[in-house]
Amino acid sequence: MPLDTSTYSLALLRIDGRRWNDLRRLHAQIHTQEAADGSSYLEMGHTKVMCVVTGPAEPQAGQQKRGTAGGGGAGALGGGQKDAASIVVNVVVAGFSSVDRKRRGRNDRRIQEMEITIQKALAANLHTHLFPHSTITVSLHVLSQDGSLLAALINATTLALIDAGIPMTDYITACTAGSTSSYAAGDDSADPLLDLNTQEEQELPFLTVATLGDSDKVAALVCESRVQVSRLEGMLVVGVDGCRQVRRLLDGIVRAKGSKMIKEGVVQRSDLMAVSLEE
Amino acid sequence: MKTYQTVTKEHQSSAQGRHNSIVHKQASSLSLNSSHGQNSGALLPPSDSSPRKRPPYSQAMPITILNPQPSTPAPRRPRAVDIDMDVASDSDSDSEMGGAAVQGDVQMQDDESVDEDGDLDEEEADARDQILTPGTVVTSNPQWMRGHGTYVPPSTTNITSSLAGTLTRTNKLLSVRPLRARYNPEIGDLVVGRIVEVQAKRWRVDVAAAQLAILQISAINLPGGILRKRTETDELQIRSFFAEGDLLVAEVQQLHQDGAASLHTRSLKYGKLRNGVFVAVGGTGGGGGVVRSKRQLWTMETANGGGKIDVLLGVNGYIWISKHLESDVAAEAAGINRMEESVSSQIYSSQNNHIDVPTMREIARCRSVILALVENGIKVDEDTVTRGYLEAVEFGRESAEDDIYLGGERGQRLAAALSGR
Repeated sequence: MPLDTSTYSLALLRIDGRRWNDLRRLHAQIHTQEAADGSSYLEMGHTKVMCVVTGPAEPQAGQQKRGTAGGGGAGALGGGQKDAASIVVNVVVAGFSSVDRKRRGRNDRRIQEMEITIQKALAANLHTHLFPHSTITVSLHVLSQDGSLLAALINATTLALIDAGIPMTDYITACTAGSTSSYAAGDDSADPLLDLNTQEEQELPFLTVATLGDSDKVAALVCESRVQVSRLEGMLVVGVDGCRQVRRLLDGIVRAKGSKMIKEGVVQRSDLMAVSLEE
Repeated sequence: MKTYQTVTKEHQSSAQGRHNSIVHKQASSLSLNSSHGQNSGALLPPSDSSPRKRPPYSQAMPITILNPQPSTPAPRRPRAVDIDMDVASDSDSDSEMGGAAVQGDVQMQDDESVDEDGDLDEEEADARDQILTPGTVVTSNPQWMRGHGTYVPPSTTNITSSLAGTLTRTNKLLSVRPLRARYNPEIGDLVVGRIVEVQAKRWRVDVAAAQLAILQISAINLPGGILRKRTETDELQIRSFFAEGDLLVAEVQQLHQDGAASLHTRSLKYGKLRNGVFVAVGGTGGGGGVVRSKRQLWTMETANGGGKIDVLLGVNGYIWISKHLESDVAAEAAGINRMEESVSSQIYSSQNNHIDVPTMREIARCRSVILALVENGIKVDEDTVTRGYLEAVEFGRESAEDDIYLGGERGQRLAAALSGR
């Protein structure tokens, strides 16, 4: 069923009732698996993903082989590096996650590309030099798909890595942005949209952008659709702002978890407050 | 970035008085199809406002500005994460700038205060309950030195946290203790490990660290006396001491440049483990786990005729609970001169002694206690385990069949009983 975007310009409401700059409901949990080093669960609207981080641990014999021989294998940067931890990303898309029950094998090119994108974004952010001769394995499971899949995967990965206590420069948060204008319309005033769902993704040109913390530094930028270059700036601005909102949400989740643990007495309080150090 | 600023400026000029809508999150629980049908069928504006006209703006502007909204706020649904509030409270600053808050670089300190304001539960909470998260600037004062869990971004002097955790200070050294992390070996740690690989002159041992630990054949007690030199025969029959899958208790002797640990078992306290059960709990930090303490190994008298059991808490989160063997004490009393006799090939035996059923039950009960402690976020040490065990014995007496299960609700009761004092 093609989406009739012309209605948007009349009501300025999207099909799920959001305005152009509204995120969907973001719900996340940290430390969901007792046995894992780090784990998280994240929902962006109806997109639901789960992440489990193992490591840094001794690389398994099979992993190294896959990383080098597997062509697109996400361990491309791994394998050879000895003075820093290698990062291996596995994405598994559940058969029941989308409307059409399509079987996606391990060698699905789309999935491999997502794995590599996540892995490269992480490699620049994590302080892997602290863990030589080891591997950090990120396993992602897609339970439900409704657009912004790559963004949800990146956000879930960030949470799980924080849970695993792996040092990183800052949060990597991601978000999608699309453009409502068609090429033919030549409508420069058309709205960029934030956080697209599946229907919008099928209809509109969109990009996924991941930024580092509160800065404007872009950690990953993926655009697979044709888009007029004049629309790009607006999409990017909205996307980067969305990332900042997502970061604030994720940070709140981590802080809530932390203060809960402190209250339970599991973790010792800080010796002193950060503010008192400035004098 | 300059381009972003120009974009936002345009907004500012044309968005006078626009009520901000940037952070209204509509729950997307409406089914997509129904909402679509509604919109495309009716093509009506939302009932709460008059039909909107698009505001005039320059052609160059890439972002549309919405008309001022009526003052009735959008119905806010209960939220799953209460920190959504902090975004909402932050929206005022966004609206002042109009549209996307691309230049508003919220500073960390502000962020924290916003967090406290927004979080209803946190309102009265001590500010010290707050944690540091990755990217938080700890201090910009150059008098401090950075320790673990922090970094200094290039071309700044800001000590920045790279972990989620709490701040510790040792004189002028600031470090961040993570909420949870894998075990990080330190010299002198008592660890329980499992042999993963047997090499020509050494074993590689899984101790739940980032890398496998190394146990040299020269770092173990060879049968036939502590002072014996190792020979080629020993190397040839290396599997007769430890084979793959064997469990052992050892001490961290040395740390290598890359953080890998070397172990040794050159004491009668250390060596192969048998007659018991293995439990793995999380590494350092939260969610419960083993803490470094004076005593990691102790003998407990058990109830219900179980006899004595040994509990061995490896600092790495690996735990061994076994039947206590009296002969060990006799060997210790014998002193170093008669060690040759006691250090027989028996210490590398993989054969369990006979363990009677009551002892097995008490070992299993002790294991349940440790798992319940971990599940309910209580640290595992001698005090909590012994107290927890006594509670568990009481729990067992409640039911006729002496239930040793301590998961779920029973575990929570146990935790409440322990922390309620």
